[in-house]
Amino acid sequence: MTDSPTETVSHSESVQLIIPCRPEYVGVARLAILGIASRMPFSYDEVEDVRLAVGEACTHAVERAGSAAATIRIVSTINSHALKIEVSDDIPAGSIAVPSEESRLLEETGVDQQGLGALLMEILVDDVTVETTATGTHVVLTKYAPD
Amino acid sequence: MNSRNPSETTCILDIAGEVDVYTSPQLKHDLVQMAERGVKQVIVNLSQVEYLDSTGLGVLIGGLKRMREAGGNLTLVGPGMRIQRIFEITGLNKIFEIYATEEESLAKEGGAE
Repeated sequence: MTDSPTETVSHSESVQLIIPCRPEYVGVARLAILGIASRMPFSYDEVEDVRLAVGEACTHAVERAGSAAATIRIVSTINSHALKIEVSDDIPAGSIAVPSEESRLLEETGVDQQGLGALLMEILVDDVTVETTATGTHVVLTKYAPD
Repeated sequence: MNSRNPSETTCILDIAGEVDVYTSPQLKHDLVQMAERGVKQVIVNLSQVEYLDSTGLGVLIGGLKRMREAGGNLTLVGPGMRIQRIFEITGLNKIFEIYATEEESLAKEGGAE
């Protein structure tokens, strides 16, 4: 296989999905990502890793939204060298839902659930950036194609 | 979700499918109810679980803490390779007792009274 960047970035395709920022729709996003990631030359485990990472990004938004109406926009861009998935929500910064009893129990155990989600994303994909602005949070997950 | 009681204070909980932000509140509800009715040993059978995320992990950790506070334990049984991997990469395999079979868990944890 040749490894020419000019050739690999020449052609990219993207898929966009907008879902309500609610627990029951996170599975819909995961299902779509399964199909999109399967278009890459990833192993079964790598496809599952991407699915879990995107699930975590969406879950993070859902948990921050609480009962407020919000949407999650997922833009997946595929080219021959990487799959980039952008997960954006429109939840204003600072609107953090009341911590659940579960998160309190976790804290006492020394585990932070949002930390667990962030840890999973870090491990499961090659590159993670999280940017929070006044209008929402933007997470970019990148998984590179195998050499 | 289905549960079985090998003894007064031991409960085996079978969970299947996807444990995520949508379904984990049900798991949490079941675990809280078990703690309230005096169950001390919970064995969570994960063999039919296909997907587990941080919220599912969070609920299991919450359950573990409740059971240990009551002098018991919450153990996990039969995770598939994907699920086992999630426990390994998060380091939670060091916090939970994970057994291959229910029999092994019952024998080690002394659940059958």
